[in-house]
Amino acid sequence: MPTSTYLSNPNVTVGAVSLQDQCQGLVFTRTIEALESTAFGTNSRSYVAGLENSTLQLDLYASFASSETYATLKSLVGTQVTVSWSPSATSPGTATNPTMTLTGAYLEALPYTMAMGALGTMSVTFTGGVYSVVEV
Amino acid sequence: MAYKIISPRVGTPGDEFDAEAAEANGINIAALLEGGFIEQSTNETAKPAKTNSKNSAKE
Repeated sequence: MPTSTYLSNPNVTVGAVSLQDQCQGLVFTRTIEALESTAFGTNSRSYVAGLENSTLQLDLYASFASSETYATLKSLVGTQVTVSWSPSATSPGTATNPTMTLTGAYLEALPYTMAMGALGTMSVTFTGGVYSVVEV
Repeated sequence: MAYKIISPRVGTPGDEFDAEAAEANGINIAALLEGGFIEQSTNETAKPAKTNSKNSAKE
């Protein structure tokens, strides 16, 4: 039985700006790099934790109106950004609705697509930063 | 430096934006200004109108 169904109300903020109504999906991958520590006398590879290098991809609609997607992101390319998201915008930061944050994540590029008769989209990826969760 | 919220994407328009707390959380204030989400607030309160008792009507 599915227990996490995202029907309408996940929240996402980029640099304190809520882009909830422009976001259609996100993919977060928490990565802690694997450092090989295999040594003589073993028959299998072993690894230890290296640096954390998580990524967050946001799929956004490309609105160029004031205070919308483009206005939010245009000045952030090439900078470190704080990005937060939660399963629901209602009472975030709880055990059942945790708020996840990447502080100091790097926005490398602002790619977007345009096509006749279709909504434009921007798929941006934030890399690195310090991952934290508020679930009081 | 005081800032005022313009866009509802940041908070309630007209409310003060806590830039110090935001900067401590890694928020790019310059980007918010450039994007038109907040603006610098003069933070001046209206001075009360001066009353001149000399001009009051004598009874």
